[in-house]
Amino acid sequence: MPPTPTTSPAAAAAPGADGAGAAAGRPRAGGPGRRLGRSGGRPPRREPQGPAWIFLSPWVLGAAVLTLLPMAVSLYLSFTDYNLFDPPSWIGLRNYVQMFTEDPRLLRSVGNTLLYVLVAVPLQLALALAAAVALKSMRRGKDFYRSAFYAPSLLGASMSIALVWRALFNDGGTVDNFLSTFGVHTGGWVNRPGWALLTVALLTVWQFGAPMVIFLAGLQQIPGELYEAAAVDGAGRWRQFASITLPMLSPVLFFNLVLQTIQAFQVFTPAFAVSGGRGGPADSTLFYTLYLYDRGFTASHMGYASAMAWMLLLAIGIVTAVLFRTSRSWVFYANEEGH
Amino acid sequence: MYRPRTRAFGAAAAAFALCAALAGCSQGASAAGDGKVVLRFTWWGNADRAARTEKAVAAFEKAHPNVDIRTSYSPYEAYKQKLATQAAGGDAPDIVQLDYRQISQYAGSGILLDLAEQRKALPTGQMDKSLLRTGQFEGKQYAIPMGVGTQALAYDKEAWREAGVPPPRPGWTWDDLESVLREVKREHDSPVMTDPGSMEDWFEVWLRSRGKRLYDENGQVAFSEDDLTRYWTYTSKLRKEGLVSPAEGTTQLDGSVENSPMGRKKAMAEFNWDAPSAGFESVYGDRLALAPMPAGENGTMGQYYKPSMLIGISAKSSHPREAARFIDFLLNSDKAADILTVDRGTPVNNRQRERMLPNLTGFQKAVADLQKSLEGKLKAPPTAPPRGDNALQSVFQKDYDQVAFEKASPRRMAQQFLTEARAELRP
Repeated sequence: MPPTPTTSPAAAAAPGADGAGAAAGRPRAGGPGRRLGRSGGRPPRREPQGPAWIFLSPWVLGAAVLTLLPMAVSLYLSFTDYNLFDPPSWIGLRNYVQMFTEDPRLLRSVGNTLLYVLVAVPLQLALALAAAVALKSMRRGKDFYRSAFYAPSLLGASMSIALVWRALFNDGGTVDNFLSTFGVHTGGWVNRPGWALLTVALLTVWQFGAPMVIFLAGLQQIPGELYEAAAVDGAGRWRQFASITLPMLSPVLFFNLVLQTIQAFQVFTPAFAVSGGRGGPADSTLFYTLYLYDRGFTASHMGYASAMAWMLLLAIGIVTAVLFRTSRSWVFYANEEGH
Repeated sequence: MYRPRTRAFGAAAAAFALCAALAGCSQGASAAGDGKVVLRFTWWGNADRAARTEKAVAAFEKAHPNVDIRTSYSPYEAYKQKLATQAAGGDAPDIVQLDYRQISQYAGSGILLDLAEQRKALPTGQMDKSLLRTGQFEGKQYAIPMGVGTQALAYDKEAWREAGVPPPRPGWTWDDLESVLREVKREHDSPVMTDPGSMEDWFEVWLRSRGKRLYDENGQVAFSEDDLTRYWTYTSKLRKEGLVSPAEGTTQLDGSVENSPMGRKKAMAEFNWDAPSAGFESVYGDRLALAPMPAGENGTMGQYYKPSMLIGISAKSSHPREAARFIDFLLNSDKAADILTVDRGTPVNNRQRERMLPNLTGFQKAVADLQKSLEGKLKAPPTAPPRGDNALQSVFQKDYDQVAFEKASPRRMAQQFLTEARAELRP
């Protein structure tokens, strides 16, 4: 008979009999108890799990009520027509069909999002890598610059910084005024279709600190002997970078690439702030998430917005899978050598 | 023997209770500890309206010490979204300010209280009957208009005077507008007016001045592709000539002064609603003036009197009587009228209207004068717009963006707008 959890008085009594009552304060979730009582010969017993569940309950409740349940509801809503006020009515796949057949603005938002991902992610990663390499070879002030470069990542996702960005790059904003002193009058960036997306991408690129810190950690894992050996063989700095740093760093690069790509697909706040929530000028910053928000909260088509959200999940899943697939050909794991 | 288990459970339970208590602290809205009745009241508007409203709330609380009114406000776009989410979650504030465009939605979905239930606390005998009708849905009074407003041209009268152009008078036409803009531009050499092409509100006035309308009785689109193409071709002509703001300025319009070309002094005039134009006062001071909207060739006026906003009570409010008393105070009492004046449009209560209008000064007088100059000239207001209109307003603006940035022709975008509108209004 398998060991029964908590409710068995014998199991509950065990820690007390051991005089190890305090250990019950650090319960393990599931699995047989490792610390057995005096009677080592008996089959392993479970530790009482009640306290474990009570301690876990905030997280479990949070995950269930705030994540899983809403996800389930949104999946249901995606097959309904729901305007927030009247009860949702089942319409089957109509939302999904409409997305592909009669929504030109949706296609534009997909295009914008892809363009943004293709511009912002490579730029951000390149800058992060360059900064990490520069920081690694730096002798003095390393800690200061590391913190300084990292700081924007802490601020980046906030609404306030996006509003500052808008003020900086607006017509008559700081950047415009500054350039005007050199006789270059731009008339603002956030209000021009060709420039607004770039301004938002710039905000993302500016937050290169997070991937930089991860690159830096990765760089420090590369054994110094490799560089020494390469130097003896006469390899220059560029050659060392291309032949040692890049391959050795490729797992970290891959990790950052996946993480930043997923994040970039979900970009919302800067575009929302820069365009006043409309994705303008001329739909140029209308990202997928922004359009989703517009459909759900401005136009009150919650069913349609839910369907869009599930398509986004699917799309990000596919892109991530593709990245993993390609990684086989370019990501190099040092411990694979023996295979 | 069971002690340790009990202790562990006790610790966990205590921790859990603590979490719950901490979470609980952030809530606690509806009933204050001292037995006061707590009401939540939300509205949209600018800082000036907020200051006046807070003052009126304070006066009410002073007269009713057992009532505590918690207020919050935001710009219209944000307000609309937040209120819809709250209402959907069954957590609408006790007292809500609503737009004409929201009435059918909120009343039809059982979110608002039938005010007949609170007739004693909130008498409506002195209010204009035809205006009261704007807050009715299927024969029941769900909301009460807070004021009356109409569309207008807000402009810098000094700029007009310097250019030697007389103030526009009722009956001036859209062609007159074009030539006036040209004359003012000759003097000042910069865009004169905020491009009116991006707002459905002004398109509606233009349509009505040609004897047409936005929606028919069934809530379907009542204008043609040609109508919209003609309107956008007209505004594009103004824009290309530099008479109205360029696309880069127009695209930022969001109802706030700081994002409008006129508010940023990149233009000297703008179509707006009469009372809300007071927002420009902080920039233009007493140079700010109001003129009627242009009329059609045969003198048909397109603008109309509209309930500027309405007020209602949540059907779920636990203190509907106090809420009704508060609305009664806001709309019917001398005290509140003196504080609020015409910030939400001219009063609906006839007694307050007669008492207030002759004594106004400054810009508020301009609002009253404009309405007076239009008396008897305006046609009946359109029926309450269909639900989808809310979304179409912003689609209209997005589509015009494509025209203004010259990414597509007026005809193509008019076509697209109608396709979108028909999908949105599909029953």
